This record gives sequence, C-alpha cells and structure tokens, in this order.
Amino acid sequence: MPTKEKVLAMLAQITEVSQVKQDLDLQLYETGILDSLKTVELIVAFSEQLGIDISPAEFEREEWATPRAIVAALQRKVS
Amino acid sequence: MDILKQIDLWGQIAPDRPAHISEHGALTYGELCRQSDSLAGQLAQWLPDDGAPVIVLGHKQPEMLVAFLGCVKAAHPYIPLDTALPAQRIARISDTAGVRLVLTPEHIAEIVKLSRPAPTRRVTPLEPYYIIFTSGSTGEPKGVVITLACLTSFVDWMVNEQRFKEGEIFLNQAPFSFDLSVMDLYLALVTGGTLFSLTARQIASPKHLYQALATSGVTTWVSTPSFAQMCLVEKSFSAVMLPQVQRFLFCGETLPPEIAAQLLDRFPTAQVWNTYGPTEATVATTSIQIDRTILNRYSMLPVGHSKPDVQILILDQSGQTVKPSEQGEIVIVGPNVSPGYLKRPDLTQRVFFDYQGERAYHTGDIGYVQDDLLFFQGRADNQVKLHGYRIELGDIESHLCGLVQVRGAVVLPILKQDKVEALAAFVILNEEALNGSPDDSDFERSLALRNRLADHLPSYMLPRKFYFLTTFPLTINGKIDRRQLAETWL
Repeated sequence: MPTKEKVLAMLAQITEVSQVKQDLDLQLYETGILDSLKTVELIVAFSEQLGIDISPAEFEREEWATPRAIVAALQRKVS
Repeated sequence: MDILKQIDLWGQIAPDRPAHISEHGALTYGELCRQSDSLAGQLAQWLPDDGAPVIVLGHKQPEMLVAFLGCVKAAHPYIPLDTALPAQRIARISDTAGVRLVLTPEHIAEIVKLSRPAPTRRVTPLEPYYIIFTSGSTGEPKGVVITLACLTSFVDWMVNEQRFKEGEIFLNQAPFSFDLSVMDLYLALVTGGTLFSLTARQIASPKHLYQALATSGVTTWVSTPSFAQMCLVEKSFSAVMLPQVQRFLFCGETLPPEIAAQLLDRFPTAQVWNTYGPTEATVATTSIQIDRTILNRYSMLPVGHSKPDVQILILDQSGQTVKPSEQGEIVIVGPNVSPGYLKRPDLTQRVFFDYQGERAYHTGDIGYVQDDLLFFQGRADNQVKLHGYRIELGDIESHLCGLVQVRGAVVLPILKQDKVEALAAFVILNEEALNGSPDDSDFERSLALRNRLADHLPSYMLPRKFYFLTTFPLTINGKIDRRQLAETWL
C-alpha cells in the first residue's frame, strides 16, 4: 500500500507545487496545477516508482480532482 | 480544384454519407450542402456585399462546418473561434476585425430552417476565405488572412501527395480556431471523407478519449506530436485500437524522433509524415515521410521538401541567401502565402514582401537545408510553441503588466529536453496594490494572478509557475537579462 506521504511527495515533485502536500482539498485541475499532460506524467511515475499500473484508458479526471482524491484512488487500486 | 464545387458534388453523389461526426451528433454531406446554402442565402440578405468577416463561435458542433461553408458561399470570410477563449479576447478580436455578425451553433441551427436559396456570388480566389487569429507580441491578437487561392494551393498539394481514397475518416484533434484543423477539415471534405472530431471534454478525460478513438475507424490521423505523445502512454494505443489507420500527419510543432519511432512500432502498416509551416503560409508548406531510413540517418528530424510551387529561401541577417547547409531565417515564397494581417498594414509590411512576382513571408523561424531537406531549428524571437499553440511571450507579458497588482513581468519557456513544456512568469509586484493582502503566500498570489490572466488569455497561454522578484537582472545594455533569469530559476 503506498503511503499518503509518498504519493503526496510524488505529486509535489511532478507538479512542482509544494502546497499539494498541505492543502489536500486543492482543486488540481481548476487551478491548472494538473492538465492532461501532467496527468499522464503522474500515471507513468506511479507505475515506475510505486508499481501501480493505471491505464489511461480507465482514468477519470473526477477521481483525481484533489490530492486527497488521488491518495484514495491509489490506495483503492492496491487494496 | 474548386473546393466549394467539389464539396457540393459530394452532397449530390453521396448525400447520406457523414461529413462530420462528433459527440454532438452527425452531419451528412446532403445536410452540409443544403444547410450551408441556406445560411449563405440568409447572410446575403443580412449583410452588404462588402466581404466583412463573420465570427463563427463554437466548439466541435456540426453547425461549425455549416457556418464555415455558409459564410464563404456568401462571399464573407469566417473567423473561427473556440468557446474556450475568454470573452475579453473574443471581444478584442471582434473589434479588431470590424465584425458585425457572430454566429453560434444555436443561431445556425435556427437560421438554416429558413431554407433560403444560395446566393450566386461566392468567394473568389483572391478574396479572403478564412482569418485565423494568433498571439501577437504586444498583447493584441493578429488576424492572418487566407484567401481561397491560398487554401486551394495547400489542399491541391496535399491531395496530390497523399493520394487519399474516397471516404476516408480523418481525425480532428485541434480546435477550429487553430489552423492545424484546416488540414483535417478540408482534406476530409474535398475527398468525400468523414471528419471525426474529438471534443475538449473527450481529450481532457483519457477514458473518454480512448473510447472515442477505439470506435472512430480513423484512417488518417491529424494532430500535434504532443497529442500523439500523450496517447502513446496507453499501452493499447496501437493498431489493435485503431486498425484502419494508414497515415499520421503531424503539424504545429517539432516531431521528436522517439514519437515517430514508437508509432512505426505500434502501427506497422501506417505511414508517419512530418510537416512544417506557419499559419501565414496556410497550415503547411513542407512535408516528408518519416521512415526507418530517415530515423536512422538524422537525430533531429527534417521537416522535408517544400510543395512543388514554393521556394524556400534561407537568409542571413542582412537578407542575403546563406551558403548551402548554413543556418538562417526561413522565408517562404509561393501561392500559399497570405496577403497579410487583417487591418494591420504596419505588421504586414514588416514581414510580408513580393519576391519575383510572388508573395513571400519572413517566418522568423531559423533553419537550414541539408540533403535537399529543410530542417527547423527554432525561433529568432520570443515566440514559442507549446503543445502546438503558437504563443508570443510578449502577449502574456503585456497582459500581466496590465494587472493592477503587477509592476513588471517577464515570461519564459520552461524547457525539458529542448522542448517547451510550460511557461514561467517572473513578476515584480506593485507593493501598493498588495496592501490589502500582505499575508498571502507566493502560491496564493500565483493563483490570484493566474485567475486574473484567465479573463484575458486562453488557458494554454497561462504560466504554470510564477516567481516573485523585487528586481530583474539587467544586461550591460540595460535590457532585462532573460538568459540570466532562465539560468538562475529554470
């Protein structure tokens, strides 16, 4: 199970926005922190670093709307 | 080729064939021709025959195609605008162009019910056919005028070169406000093909995107390389998902060799083509098929050979032709070169000129010719390409400086492996304007500035990162030292 801290650290590293670690309800797409290409980068990073394969074809933007949602989505994926 | 006659011909011989499919519905050739005639008839009644442009504002609705053809069938050029643009930018474009009529899909659907007969006066070869607005360095978008003769020159060339079969399915990724879409739209319509449009909603949601692609039956893929790069992340994006694809046509930005290589691996029977050209020379001017031989020979992919009736000049700073294989500014001479910018003789005179009786355009792009092939190396100025969109950094800077909170601003590209990945803004804040909120963090300030900018600029022009400085480093000439900013922060 990936820890919340690890997922948030990766999210912060890829988006280059440290606030994603503090404000877990930050709207990632509305604020422009994530876009389609950044999402794809995250999918690749989660696969390479956490071994969690998310098929872009299954991906729903709503499930990744906030840092909290991403952590939950990844934890659901491995549980 | 007579583009409009050719499309009308499909309306007669294949009236039930779909001309356009998107999640908004389908439109047959019969409907497209009948409805565009009807719209043209009404426009001819409403508007004087003065060739004034009409804005067509929408997204990927079938009515957009009806409006494009309806306008030119009434001898009025159209300005395609996407609803994703902020209202202020639309208003500015409308003012600049002197537009008296804005058509939206809802209006168009109503107007075509009036069933007016088509007017006899249509757009003629030397008249403007469409006007595409691009980012301008002073913050004022500029309208590139493309005549029917320019468009015909481009379409004839691509049809001869690519030998499309009748009734192919063309992928439309780009919004209609971006001239890349002219490639898929008109190549589909003149060959009796079907334009398959992806909407912004589908592109934003990979799940919907791949579902749409898998059911599309696309035979000719037209997109930016960035879009294909994004699609390739999904492992099933291959000939299994899109078994009918015969060719990939890329335009709008540099094609990285690894993207071409991956596509050749995953789509063994498809061809991959790279093309190059500014909006001012009608979508694309050069092309080349990228095969294994080309991939093995060049680490940076060529943009290819020019269309047969075009002359490419490579000029040095004094305007002289460079020696073979030396780099210089790419100048395009030929029948696909625009007459100039709408109502901007000053800008037009700066970059357009007549050369041996033909229209010529200083692209501001740097390149060289080797092995008879053109290579594109980048820009001579502050224009960047981000995901295929052409952006003048000065456009963003002037809008930032227009905000009350901002005293000075510089925008620079963030590069990753020599490719523009995002934009960074360096901002000196106006301290008086900050009095109300001295406790805001830099992050909150970034979000606030981004939100203000979004009222003026399309989302692809919004900087991803903001750096707050108290002064800018200067060069010995007293200009802002952009290089030092980039080296220190990016």
